[in-house]
Amino acid sequence: MPNNIATVLSRQDTWRGRSQRMPSRNISTGYNNLDLLLQGGWPASALVELMPQQPGIGELSLLLPTIKHYADNNPLCVWLDPPYQPYAPRLAAADIALDKLLVVRSKNHAEWLWAAEQSIRSGALLLAWTGSPPPRYADLRKLQLAAADSSNPAFLFSSPKALSAPSPATLRLELKSLEVNQLLLTVRKQRGVAGGACLHLSLGEANSQRTNLALLPADRHRTYPTQQLNN
Amino acid sequence: MLKQDIWLYLHFPLLPLETLLPQRPEELAQKPIAIINLQKNIQQVLCCNTQAAAWGIEPGLSISTALALCPELEVLPRQFEQEQQSLQQLALLAYSFSPVVILEGSELWLEISGCQQLFKGYDALLKNLQNRLKYQSISAVNGIGQNPLAAKLLCKSRFETQLPDQTEIQRRLRNTDINLLKTSRKQQQSFKQLGLNRVGDLLALPRSALSRRFDAELLTTIAQLNNEKLFTAPRFQPADSFRDLIQNPQGIFNKESLLFPMKTLLQRLCQYLMARQCHCREIEWRFEPLIGESQHMQIQLSGSQNNWSSLLMLSRLQLERLELPRSIEQIILCADQFIEAPMGMFNLDLFDDQKLAQQSCELIDSLNARLGIEALSQPILNQDYLPEQASTLAIPGQHSSAAYSERPGEKLKAPQPLWLLTDPAPVHLRNRQLYWRQPLSIISGPERLCGNWWQAEQQRDYYLACDSNGARYWLFRDTSSQRWFVHGLFS
Repeated sequence: MPNNIATVLSRQDTWRGRSQRMPSRNISTGYNNLDLLLQGGWPASALVELMPQQPGIGELSLLLPTIKHYADNNPLCVWLDPPYQPYAPRLAAADIALDKLLVVRSKNHAEWLWAAEQSIRSGALLLAWTGSPPPRYADLRKLQLAAADSSNPAFLFSSPKALSAPSPATLRLELKSLEVNQLLLTVRKQRGVAGGACLHLSLGEANSQRTNLALLPADRHRTYPTQQLNN
Repeated sequence: MLKQDIWLYLHFPLLPLETLLPQRPEELAQKPIAIINLQKNIQQVLCCNTQAAAWGIEPGLSISTALALCPELEVLPRQFEQEQQSLQQLALLAYSFSPVVILEGSELWLEISGCQQLFKGYDALLKNLQNRLKYQSISAVNGIGQNPLAAKLLCKSRFETQLPDQTEIQRRLRNTDINLLKTSRKQQQSFKQLGLNRVGDLLALPRSALSRRFDAELLTTIAQLNNEKLFTAPRFQPADSFRDLIQNPQGIFNKESLLFPMKTLLQRLCQYLMARQCHCREIEWRFEPLIGESQHMQIQLSGSQNNWSSLLMLSRLQLERLELPRSIEQIILCADQFIEAPMGMFNLDLFDDQKLAQQSCELIDSLNARLGIEALSQPILNQDYLPEQASTLAIPGQHSSAAYSERPGEKLKAPQPLWLLTDPAPVHLRNRQLYWRQPLSIISGPERLCGNWWQAEQQRDYYLACDSNGARYWLFRDTSSQRWFVHGLFS
């Protein structure tokens, strides 16, 4: 048996308490302070679980530098079951080659899991959104094992409800937004480090000035009574 | 010294039988079987298997004699069409050994003098050829000569795997019985009168004497045997498109048993692709039942392939989604879209980029096969003002990958969202507060976008809004109806 324990311990994805065993390779996130927090960047060959409090708070912008990095070098970036349609002009403005993106829609959970595993195993960068019911631990473990064999991170977006359930992901981040363009990242699980670390990340120009609806600039092309807004 | 040609003649004595055997159930192969052929209104035995030969059946017997000798003899009629198909496949197999292949009737020749180096010696080549034929369960005999005619004359009753040297070939040719030469009875008579028994005797005669005694046809034959005249037969070329079928008269009832014949067909396809040095872009399967409509299955490849195992894997994935007729009698594989095989396909490891590109093609193909093409899409950018027209989804690989060139100053435009709602969602206005899932407040705007002016003109003012949690939304107000909609999320 000691032989078996040694093989288990030599694996990348075995978590060993307080030991400072680090994954061999990290991929820069494109944000300096996030790289510092994650000790180099996204762990390569690992499943990364991102749990935004609600969609739209900037979880995708967080990954844009990574997607761009991969689209420049790798053949394919698979978006599995994204909640909405990706908006091409924005991606093009970020200099991401659109033909490197592949949006995949699955019809059921079996297809979702199969497509996710296939994508990871064929060297594509995977961004997968979990549906309901959330994937089981064994399914995620399958993806984590596939990611361990590949050389890329695989990103999983799940709902914050998933926090209460255990996950085999190497890194789990909870994303919250308190203000526009300000993301609060909380590490819920990280290899070799106790969780709980927080980071305030600014994703761009912070323009949080609210405008009163009634004070909007008047339409120069058409005149209409202001009361119409009140209806 | 001029390079000496080496011609290999292949004869398949049991081909009519061996073509039909794979379609029969296995236990039948153990029984005595004979193939019969209708000749001059008499049904004669054309060939038979060893079990039948043990009963004393031999080619040339009439069917009644054969049945009298062996009452339990299985008699099958000869199938010319399938035989021709097998011959085409055998020619294709020969074509992978030598570029010079001649297929005439049921006779096959290969010129192998230039192929020594590739196979590391003639003996290895012959051995390899023998193994390949054995693998396809085709029995063959061969003959080797300096020209096609000599090779045919020297055809043995076994497969020779040792190449005799040139003098030995010459000696054998001279010692061949002269009556094996295909010629008229009259001329055979005159051979006898002249005391010519061996081919060598004929070749030794002075040319002027020959031309006085024999007709032009025999003179041509002699010239060909002496390598003075070329054997003029068109060289074999692989067909322009691939179509092959496997019949199973018993019917195939489940998908698992389909896989084996499918594998055989794909292997044949890949042999064809190898011979033509090309890759295929698309293959089509057709499953035909005995009664009823046949089922089609098309497999599109985003890249190109000549690897049967990955083609089989894709076919298998797609087969899972297909509703098949209850029993399948015939499986047909067609392919007619080919591209030249890319250079350097044998050393993929040297070119990492190519390997990655191939991996992604394989991924698209397998996702396509399992989930269907409708499950896959790629965002594309159109030169249009309305967001839903500027960003659309297309089937992967269908649009050009021409890079979108950003116009200068474009970046100065108002921020754009990452997510687009396919259908804009109406926003309610409650007590002067915009409300969609949560109360929203405007941060910046407006940006006016106009489009569709040639049909139903759309004028929209786009605003950036956020909710209390800091999520940002892309709202617009339609200027004509004054209604608010959510069109995107910034994320």
